[in-house]
Amino acid sequence: MGSALQKAIDLILSADAELINILCVTARMSIQSSLIALLLGVPLGIWLGACKFPGRNALVVLNRTLMGMPPVVCGLLFYMLFSGVGPLRHMKLLFTVKIMVMAQVVLITPIVVGNMETYVAGIAPAIRETAKGLGLGGCKTFLLMCGECVYQIFSAYLLAFARSIAEVGAVSMVGGAIAWKTNVMTTAIMQYTNRGSFSLGIALGMILLAVSLLVNIVISLLQRRLSR
Amino acid sequence: MKLPAFIKTYDGVAVLDFPGMEIEPGKIYAVIGANGSGKSTFAKILSGVLPADRKVQLPQSVGYLPQKPYAFRMSTKKNILLGGSEEAKANELMWALQISHLEKKRADRLSGGETARMAIARLMMKAFDLVILDEPTAAMDIETTAAAESLILDYTGATGCATILVTHSLQQARRVADEALFFYKGKLMESGAKERLLYHPTQPETKRFLEFYGQ
Repeated sequence: MGSALQKAIDLILSADAELINILCVTARMSIQSSLIALLLGVPLGIWLGACKFPGRNALVVLNRTLMGMPPVVCGLLFYMLFSGVGPLRHMKLLFTVKIMVMAQVVLITPIVVGNMETYVAGIAPAIRETAKGLGLGGCKTFLLMCGECVYQIFSAYLLAFARSIAEVGAVSMVGGAIAWKTNVMTTAIMQYTNRGSFSLGIALGMILLAVSLLVNIVISLLQRRLSR
Repeated sequence: MKLPAFIKTYDGVAVLDFPGMEIEPGKIYAVIGANGSGKSTFAKILSGVLPADRKVQLPQSVGYLPQKPYAFRMSTKKNILLGGSEEAKANELMWALQISHLEKKRADRLSGGETARMAIARLMMKAFDLVILDEPTAAMDIETTAAAESLILDYTGATGCATILVTHSLQQARRVADEALFFYKGKLMESGAKERLLYHPTQPETKRFLEFYGQ
């Protein structure tokens, strides 16, 4: 572990061009996919948690099922759609960062939706009751409900980002882990391990954890500042 | 003003059977009864928060203060201004309920009693035809309860609304109400002027209840 840590520090200090490329691709994929998942998942989660309509429970169950979707299944679906024999082959997205982001969005949006839905379902009855008692309209009530979710959005983002940055199954299938193009931290670790370069793999793993820790610290500080 | 008759059942069991009644504007009606007698269900159905078994025609403008009012994550004053936009009125209500010093404090960080006072002020920012208060002073101490009761009396008098006050406190019913309604096992057992109902009840259930809670 000591030599791996030394290697990790050396790798960072040496500003290795391939490592920087891997970090950039990882950051691009994780940030883009988690932000898109947030944009899609937050309104959907609030709507699902706050509104009562026929079929709502079925949608909640479906979303919870999608939350547990194995990444390789998601990767396989995208592979079949965009590969040379797939119906969307003309888009030529296979083995690009774009398709990696798309696969990640499909994987992590249900997590954001589920997170928001559970939270909103907990506070919605009290908010609805209070708003109705004050004679507030549906639109105003919904806006108030959204306002109450601000802090939860940070938690949902952290979950989405963590899942995205740590994912390997889907991104290796649709991205192909091509060096200098679609190789991300997790797929690079797999490659180094397959080659027998364990210490390099552990070094990359440490950098991955450090990046994750940094993002968590930044978001937590932001959350704390806003909650004052 | 007419309160409609309604029935509420859960899993085929009637939890509340209200025969309907006429109420007068400017009067306070205390709703008393033991736990589980249907007081809060009565309040929720009348306020439109909970549907009755069949659709009923509720009064046009109803203000409702739930047992556990929600404090939004914003300042106490902003919470109060959700009820109406007049800042001077908000200041006046905060002063009357002794929460002026909490004006800028985040409402979700207030104590139970402070939240209850904030919620009363928020509701009273607007005038309603019918106001339903579900145990508004349950979390308050004696001093703030007196302030809240005084405000309830003033508000009812000034706006001319009919006020339904769900309470566990017979003393409060005696101090504040004009009329009283006694619920027992989901049924309105007895109603009438507070002097008669609280001191000379006719129904055996009402007598037992008043004896138990100390007449």
